[in-house]
Amino acid sequence: MTIKRGVSLYSYQQTQFFKRLDLEGQLREISENLGGADGVELLDEMSLHYPEPPAEFDRQWFGWMERYGLVPVTMDVFHDVLQFRDHVMTYHESAERLIHDIKLAKRLGFKNVRTLATTPVEIMVEALPVAEELDIRLGKEIHQPITLDGQYVTEIVEHVRNTGTEHLGIVPDFGIFAFRPTEVLLDWYVRHGAQQATCDLVVELCLETHYGQGNALSAIDMSRHTAGNIRSGFTRFLKTGEAEPDVAPAFALMKQLVDDNVPHHSDIDYTVMAEALLFSRTKPEELKELLPLIVSIHGKFLNMSEIPGRPGHYQDISFDYEGPIRALKEAGYDGYINSEYEGQRYWQDRTEADLADEVDQVRRHQEMLRRLIDAPLDPPAAA
Amino acid sequence: MFDNFLIRRDSLKNDYQGGVATGFQLAVRHANYRGVFLSLHNGYYIAVDGEEFPREVQTFEINGQSPRSFEELTTAVWEHWDYDDEAILHVAKPGGLAPGDHEIAFQQSVLAAYGYLPTDEEWVKHPPVPGHGEGSDKTPDIVTYRLPLTDNQE
Repeated sequence: MTIKRGVSLYSYQQTQFFKRLDLEGQLREISENLGGADGVELLDEMSLHYPEPPAEFDRQWFGWMERYGLVPVTMDVFHDVLQFRDHVMTYHESAERLIHDIKLAKRLGFKNVRTLATTPVEIMVEALPVAEELDIRLGKEIHQPITLDGQYVTEIVEHVRNTGTEHLGIVPDFGIFAFRPTEVLLDWYVRHGAQQATCDLVVELCLETHYGQGNALSAIDMSRHTAGNIRSGFTRFLKTGEAEPDVAPAFALMKQLVDDNVPHHSDIDYTVMAEALLFSRTKPEELKELLPLIVSIHGKFLNMSEIPGRPGHYQDISFDYEGPIRALKEAGYDGYINSEYEGQRYWQDRTEADLADEVDQVRRHQEMLRRLIDAPLDPPAAA
Repeated sequence: MFDNFLIRRDSLKNDYQGGVATGFQLAVRHANYRGVFLSLHNGYYIAVDGEEFPREVQTFEINGQSPRSFEELTTAVWEHWDYDDEAILHVAKPGGLAPGDHEIAFQQSVLAAYGYLPTDEEWVKHPPVPGHGEGSDKTPDIVTYRLPLTDNQE
């Protein structure tokens, strides 16, 4: 019994955009170059002809699974509530879309469906009987700055406790274990006019918080907001001075830190500082009691770099991976962690020659996963 | 996302009817990592050499159909613009563009999101005018391209 490794094809979004690897090419890469990874996760609206792949696709798909020795694990689905344009989609209409997506996942042999973090639990509950009938587990993504101990998880825990269902759970994203902005995002900000001093300041603040040396961020709770909504809310705050009451004090603090510490700053420096608000500050141990609810895990990463002095070994300096993987091993997790590379977008403001190499980044990430999963657990300390 | 790659670099051409230039066209891609239902597509901010062309003079060619206005696309609620597919944006401009290089300021607006948002009801009543970041979360800044006109008249 061990943790299994897979890849979310999300990682290859840019490779697909530039038509360097098609769907079969991406599957072949997983099969041939990742040291035994066999799990496949995909986004229906990225990898498939949505909403209905043609009938002949099924034979092709299952043929690839067999030829490359792969397993469909989780299908990620979306929730665009303005589809009908003349009204906002009701919860019932949202559940109908989710039910469609559950059936599509079943058709292609997936075991799980991931919903967005922001999909209300009522919608998941309405779709749940179909998921139970088709033996598909529905997992709500838990993505930073959302936390494992916040409302989004609690309401799932309660529904499972009250009904005993085995088909509702969570898909934790390793972003909840990120603790500082990635160096590639900070480089992007500098290219767009941010001061290096602001980048240094936000990293310093985040590291102090992570290592328990400062508490400027400890009272801030962003656990009910998505990162995208915090970013757009902060932009609105800078323009108008207005913000939702629960986030306004944190927004003001980030602005104040720049005003007090960074000479010659501009608006983009505030935006850099607000990156400090996007971390969940989740403790690895929190995974243990939620273990039965974990459907699969997004192995989110932003930039794999070589560990100094250890050729061929890689790390992402903005995430804790060792702690959560140790916790998962100690708790006996035997599901999938699927590599999910999201750093490519921070290189797309330059030329085609400067683009990140997604294929290589995933290979590096899988090296790290394999090494951390295979490492023996420390024996308990002698009494 | 894909800031510098949303317009294919060799795709800027004039549109002709009966030998007369009636506008111009560009090949465009999603500013996202996935496709969306076509109805969510809300048009473009586009300015060529400083001259803005509003959504009302734009039409969109996708899925093998003739160019449709963005008003028409609001009813394409079950048709999908797949992630892999390039679309052609047509802009009406009597006389078309002059030969040579042009500076094109560009932003795509797609009303796709992560679930329900406070702006939903407002956007049903009054869809945002492209160019102010609404529907452009993943490419929040207007991107400027310098592209040559590749004339396609027979």
